[in-house]
Amino acid sequence: MKKITLLLIFFSLILISNPEEYEASNHLQSLIDSMEEGAVLKLGNKTYEGNIVINKRLTIIGSKHTVIKGDGTSNVISIKAPGVKLRHLTVIHGGMNRNTAEEYAAIKIHTNHNVIEHVKIRDSYHGIYLSQAHHNTIQYNDIKGMGKGKIAAQGNGLHIYYANNNLLAHNKIEGTRDGMFFDYANRNKSYDNHISHTRYGLHYMYSDENIFKRNIFTMNQGGAAIMNSNRLKLKDNQFLINYGNQSFGLLLLQANENNIENNMFYLNQRGLYIDQSTKNIIKNNKIIENEIGIELWASSNEQIFTLNKIYENTIPAALIGGKGESNAWSKDGKGNDWGTFFPLTDLDQNGIGDFPITYYSSLHQLLEKQELTNLFLKSHAITIYEKINAALNDNEVMFKDPHPLVQRKRNHSFILVAVLSLLAVILIKGRHPYALHLERMEGKHKR
Amino acid sequence: MHYIWKEWKENIRGKGLWLSVSIIVLLSLIILIRFASHPLDHGFYILLINLFDTIVYFIPILCLFIGAFSIFQEKEQKTLIMLLTKKDHYASFLAKKILGISVVVLLPLLAWFFLYLLLLKFQFQLDIKSYLIFILSILLMSVLFLQVGAAIGSFSRSRMQIIGHTIFIWFYFFFLHDFILLSLLPHITNENVKVFSTFYFLNPLQAIRIFLETSMEVYSFSHMSRLLQEFMWTEPSAFLVGNFAFWMVGSFASAVFFNRKDVHE
Repeated sequence: MKKITLLLIFFSLILISNPEEYEASNHLQSLIDSMEEGAVLKLGNKTYEGNIVINKRLTIIGSKHTVIKGDGTSNVISIKAPGVKLRHLTVIHGGMNRNTAEEYAAIKIHTNHNVIEHVKIRDSYHGIYLSQAHHNTIQYNDIKGMGKGKIAAQGNGLHIYYANNNLLAHNKIEGTRDGMFFDYANRNKSYDNHISHTRYGLHYMYSDENIFKRNIFTMNQGGAAIMNSNRLKLKDNQFLINYGNQSFGLLLLQANENNIENNMFYLNQRGLYIDQSTKNIIKNNKIIENEIGIELWASSNEQIFTLNKIYENTIPAALIGGKGESNAWSKDGKGNDWGTFFPLTDLDQNGIGDFPITYYSSLHQLLEKQELTNLFLKSHAITIYEKINAALNDNEVMFKDPHPLVQRKRNHSFILVAVLSLLAVILIKGRHPYALHLERMEGKHKR
Repeated sequence: MHYIWKEWKENIRGKGLWLSVSIIVLLSLIILIRFASHPLDHGFYILLINLFDTIVYFIPILCLFIGAFSIFQEKEQKTLIMLLTKKDHYASFLAKKILGISVVVLLPLLAWFFLYLLLLKFQFQLDIKSYLIFILSILLMSVLFLQVGAAIGSFSRSRMQIIGHTIFIWFYFFFLHDFILLSLLPHITNENVKVFSTFYFLNPLQAIRIFLETSMEVYSFSHMSRLLQEFMWTEPSAFLVGNFAFWMVGSFASAVFFNRKDVHE
C-alpha cells in the first residue's frame, strides 16, 4: 500500500511540474540554435520558457496566445544578430533587479535592421531596449508597465540608447517610467505612438535631429521632455491632460533650434514649458485650455512664436525669472491668435490686428516664488488678483505681440446664449399660468 | 417620508427645481455635442472635467436658492409655525426639511446623469469608476449648498435678504476665499503650510475639485516638494469629508441658532 501511495505522489509531482512547458523552454532555445540562417520559426499557442538569445538572422512568428516567459533574472529575449524579425508574441517576466551592471528588458536589441512588431510586453523592467542598435523598426507593440505608484521602480517602454535611425511607430505604451526614452540617440523617427500614464511620455537626453509626428501623449506627468537635445522636429502631436502639480505638455530644457509645428496642447498644467533653451520655432500650434499656455523662463532666448492659436488658458503666457525680451511673438508680420483674451480690431480686414497687444501680469512673481500658486490657477480669484494688481501698477509685461491674428468667428458664447434662452423660455412659460389667472380674475370682476 | 412627499409636491409645481435641472441638462448636452464632434484621446475624462468646470458655476447658486426659498416659503406661508406647534423642535424640522429637499433635488439629477451615461456610451470609452466619482462630487456639492441655502433661508427675513446672502456666499466661495489665500501666499512657509492647507480645503469648490481630479487620476500629486507634501497632509478624500462635515454641521448649527420665524411683510 505504501509503495502504491509513494508511486501516486511521484506521478502527481510529475504532473504538477508541467513537463510539457519545461521541455518547450529547452526546445525553444535549442530550436533557435538548430535553425538555419534566415529561417522562419512559427510558434504555437502556448507558453515557452525563456530566456532566449537569438544569434542568427531569424524570423519568429507567434500565434494569438504565444507567450515567451522569462525566468525573471535577465532579458527575456536578447537579439545579438542583425535582421531578426519578431511578430505576434507576448513577452513577460523580465529581470527587475536594478543592482546589476545591466538594465534588463523584455526584448534587448544589440544589432541593426531588426523588426519587432505586434509584440505585447508585460511584467518587465524595460519594454524594448535598443542598445547601440541602428535602423531597427519597432512598431505596433503594446507595452504596459506597473502603473501608478511604481513609476520610479521600473524602466521605460522603449529605451533607445546610443541608437540611431530607428523607426518607432504605432506603439501603445502605458504605465511605464518614460514612454520612450532616447539617450544619445540621433535621427530616429517616432510616428503615431500612443503614450499614457507614464512619467514623461517621451524623454530625449542628448539626442539630436529626431523627428516625432502624430504621437498622442495623455495623462502623463509630463507629455514630452526634451533635454539637451537639438534640431528636433515635432509635428502634429497631441499633448492632452498632462495635468498635475509639476506637469507640462512639452518641456524644452537646454534644447535648441527645435521645430515645433501643428501640435495640440490641450488641458495641461503648462502647455509649453521652456527653460534655458534658444532659437526654437513654435509655429501653428493649438495651445488651448491649459492652466498656463506657455511658461517661459527668462534664461530662454530667441524663440519664435508665430501663427499659434492660444485660447482659453488661465494664463496665456507667463515669463518667469526676468524679462526675456529677445523672444519674438511674431514672424514675417504674423503673430498669434489669442482668442477673446485680447479684443482686437481689423479695419483693413487683413487678418492682422490694427494695433499690437501687450499682456501684463503679476502672477509670475508668485509662480516663481511660491509653488502653491499652481493650486489656484483654476480659481476665479486669479482674475480679481490680476485686476487689483493692474490697478496698483504691480504688473509686468509678459509679452508683446506686434501683429496679433484676428480671431475667425467662433461660436464662443453658444453656451451662454443657450442657457439664457432656456431661462427666458422657462420664465415666460412659468409666467403664463399666472397671467391666465390674472386674466380670469379680471374677467370675474368685469362680470 | 412625509416631508419628502411634501417637498416633492411643492417643487413639482414651482419653477426653481425644473429651471435648475433644465440648466444642468442643457449644459451637459451642449458639452456632449461639443466633445463628440471633436473626439480626442481619453475624451471621456476631458468631457467630465469640462462638464464639472461648467456646472460648478450653476449648481452652488441654484442649490443655495432652492434651499433658502424652500425654508423661507414655510415661514412666509406660516406653515412653519403650524409644523412647530406639534412638539417639533426647529432642529428636527430643519433636518427633515433638508432631507426632503435633498432627495427631491438629487433624484432628477441622478436620473439625468444615468441617462447621460447612456448617451456617453455611444461616443466614448466609459470608465464607470470615474463617472461614479463625478456623480458623487456633484451630489456632495448639491447637498452641501442646499444645506447652506437652508441656513440662509432660516435666518433671512425677506426675499431681498435671501438674494443678498446667497449672492454673497456664492461670491465668497467663488472669489473671495481664494483671493484672501492668494494674498497670503508669499508668507507661506513649511511651518504654517498645514494651517494654510486647512483653509484652502475649507472652500468646498476646491475640496470637491481636487477630490474629483485626483480620484479620476487625471491630476497627479507626484514628485512633491516638502512644502507640497506638508500641504497635502492627508488624502483629498479626507479633506473632502472634513470640508463636508464642517459646512454641514456649521450651517445646520447656524440655521438652528440664528433662525428667525418672523417675516417682513
